Amino acid sequence: MKKIILLYLTLVSLAFGYSYDDVLLKAQASIFPKIILLDKKIENKLVEGKIVYTIVYDKNDYYTALDISKYIEEKYHGHLGQYEYTVNLVEFSKLSDATEASAFYVLNLDKYTDKIAEMAKERGVISFSYDINNLNQGIMFSLVIEKSTVIYLEKETLFTQKIDFVDALLQIVKFTDKNTALNKIKNDSRLERDQWYAKIIAYKNHNKS
Amino acid sequence: MKKRIKSLSTKIVFLIALISLLSILVIFNVFEKINKKAFYAVETEKADLVLSTIEPLIALNIYLDMNDKIESTMQKLIENPNILAVKVLKNGNVIDEIRSKDYEINISESFTVEKAIFQPNSKNEIGTLVLVYSAKNYKELVQRYTILLIEIFIGFTIFYLFFSLYVKYLLSPLKIIANSLRNYSPNKEVTIPFIQANNEIGLISETLINMQKRILQYAKKQENINHYLEEKVSEKTLELRKQLYTNSLTGLPNRLSLLHDINGFHDGALLIINIDDFKEINDLFGQIAGDRILISFARALDNIFAKEDDITLMHLSGDEFALFFMKKPLLDDFIHIAKKLIDDVEGMIFNYESNELSIRITIGGAFQLEEALEKADIALKSAKKQKKSFLLYDEKLNVEKQYKENIEWIKKLNKAIEENKIVPYFQPIFDTVSNKIVSSECLIRLIDNENNVISPYQFLTIAKRSKLYSKLTRIMIKKSCEYFEHIDCDFSVNLSVEDIMDEETIRFIKESIKKYDVSKKIVFEILETEGIENYQEVSSFIDEMKAIGCRIAIDDFGSGYSNFEYLLRLNIDYIKIDGSLIKNLDTDTNAQMIVETIVDFAKKLKVLTVAEYVHNEAVNQKVKELKIDRTQGFLLGEPKEQLTL
Repeated sequence: MKKIILLYLTLVSLAFGYSYDDVLLKAQASIFPKIILLDKKIENKLVEGKIVYTIVYDKNDYYTALDISKYIEEKYHGHLGQYEYTVNLVEFSKLSDATEASAFYVLNLDKYTDKIAEMAKERGVISFSYDINNLNQGIMFSLVIEKSTVIYLEKETLFTQKIDFVDALLQIVKFTDKNTALNKIKNDSRLERDQWYAKIIAYKNHNKS
Repeated sequence: MKKRIKSLSTKIVFLIALISLLSILVIFNVFEKINKKAFYAVETEKADLVLSTIEPLIALNIYLDMNDKIESTMQKLIENPNILAVKVLKNGNVIDEIRSKDYEINISESFTVEKAIFQPNSKNEIGTLVLVYSAKNYKELVQRYTILLIEIFIGFTIFYLFFSLYVKYLLSPLKIIANSLRNYSPNKEVTIPFIQANNEIGLISETLINMQKRILQYAKKQENINHYLEEKVSEKTLELRKQLYTNSLTGLPNRLSLLHDINGFHDGALLIINIDDFKEINDLFGQIAGDRILISFARALDNIFAKEDDITLMHLSGDEFALFFMKKPLLDDFIHIAKKLIDDVEGMIFNYESNELSIRITIGGAFQLEEALEKADIALKSAKKQKKSFLLYDEKLNVEKQYKENIEWIKKLNKAIEENKIVPYFQPIFDTVSNKIVSSECLIRLIDNENNVISPYQFLTIAKRSKLYSKLTRIMIKKSCEYFEHIDCDFSVNLSVEDIMDEETIRFIKESIKKYDVSKKIVFEILETEGIENYQEVSSFIDEMKAIGCRIAIDDFGSGYSNFEYLLRLNIDYIKIDGSLIKNLDTDTNAQMIVETIVDFAKKLKVLTVAEYVHNEAVNQKVKELKIDRTQGFLLGEPKEQLTL
């Protein structure tokens, strides 16, 4: 019975909303704020002396955004390096020019991702995306878990935004190009992600039984 | 002993070898101290560079918690064959470590480099990176460098060997030239090699040949000069020898010749002939006359003994000649010859200008060869002293001993003067009426090394002969004047005619009298005999002394002829009657008569009389009876160091 209910719930969630990878979310929540500090000109991007990590979400993803915020708080306890930080949760519909941000983190959005990318470009701040596909719309970083954790950096966005990163960062990231192997990456990463899910579900089931 | 040659070429080669050795040592030293360090530093820098390269990546991976990436980065490093292991430490714990497959083999030859890992874009240290780097490269470099040095060393050695052989070869002609010159002498021409060589060796050879020619010429000249000089030197030597052994005036053999002859014979005899009073001839007729007489005398003697082959006539000095008997004659003949010679000379007349001069001689003889000259001389002096014409040396004369004693006394006197041991002793003179001391006679004494007091009778005669007498007089004058400077008593000092004749002594007496202000106290005692014999000098001295307030006494009056007229003219103050008249005065009536006459005469002249040698009470009484004014003698007071008034 329980298996049936679980299956039902899974199917419902697949039918009515986007399903986030919790491990990936945590990995991103852990690594992305640190990447902000790898910007050599972070001083210019502070808002009233603070780092403002703005999470842009769709109204259905509020709780996901909130979870991310809590997770960041648990990990960094209000300080990123020597700076204080604030996690700013902004629903996409309320996003405006007045929205403060030292960096944007975009959850899954079907549309308008390019608008956020444009906003980040205008402000010269870093943009992160949960979904690697969003790099296509001009978001700068994304992260996927393959055999190991891989950070992707959109090459064109890096060139256009001219953010000066710590050199080593550029050595460990994988660069993406809008016109090249993004789909492959996407497919590969999805494949891997599905495999992950399968493993997790199998593990959880094993524990329950 | 053959001189060991120090080869020039060996020296040069040795020097080069030394320099080479030093150079190699320097290179080794530099290698040891600098190059090895530099090699090590290069390897360290390499390792450091590797660390610096990967440190940012490792730092970023740690920072982003991407530990799987750390390992993959390190894995790439380990592909480098020089890297044996890489470790990442965080908070002191190893969070990752990778070792190469050769780690275990090469770990013994490795070194470790560490680097701190800093958070990217920050100064926070987040870990340490440790690299174990193989020292294989370093070892290889050192090995290669060592081989290079050994090669250099071998190269140097070979070079040095060839160089030394070459130097030896270059300098070998010098050795050959030196060998050819080894037996060189100015009279011998040697063949010098390498004359044709067109280098410095050839030049040396050519120069040596030229030099040899010149030396040869010079040697010939020198030989001639030497020959000439040798001849001259021989001539001069003969001349000098002749001069040395000959008297220049008479041409007779001299004293040196005599000494030479005495040493050359085993037996013989000697007569020394002295012309009496020859000084007077010189003084009266002059030196030239004296010389002529000496020459004539020498000729006369030569004529007398010309036929006597065993007798040599010699001219010892001015007026002294000698007859050296090379064979000892009979004693009687020897004495006869001497006496006959004396007679012969008395009969000789020597003409000088218009004067006819005759001379007398005294002869001293020694009838033995041992110390003949000294003995004949002693005999001559004894003869002169005894006013004899001839005297043969006799051991009984004991003259030698006397001479030695005299020399000893002169030494003693000199020492005593030097050590201030000539002192005055004071004998009181009493007034016969009041029996009080009215005066004191200062008598000279010598204190010897054993502190014995020596009376003047032992040394005064010798002092006169040795010219120390005036010194003794001055000491006595000074010390006596000094003693009586502050004593209110008259004192008398004995003066001899030698003192009076000596201007220096007189000046000293005057200065002392003035210095110590004793002119009214001092009385000079002069011997009666000396006063009469040297009347003129004594008289003027008395006048001079009396003029400054001094008084004069005639000592030992009555011992000589006692010429009263002279005495009267000498203006004296005291007459000291001779001790020979006083000592038996109590019993000798003749003496009493003479003394009475003297006293009587003195009283008329208002001259005070003094009796010496009063040795017993009877004599003392007689002195008083005869009205002698003053008395002196052992009965009343012996001479003492201090006068007790």
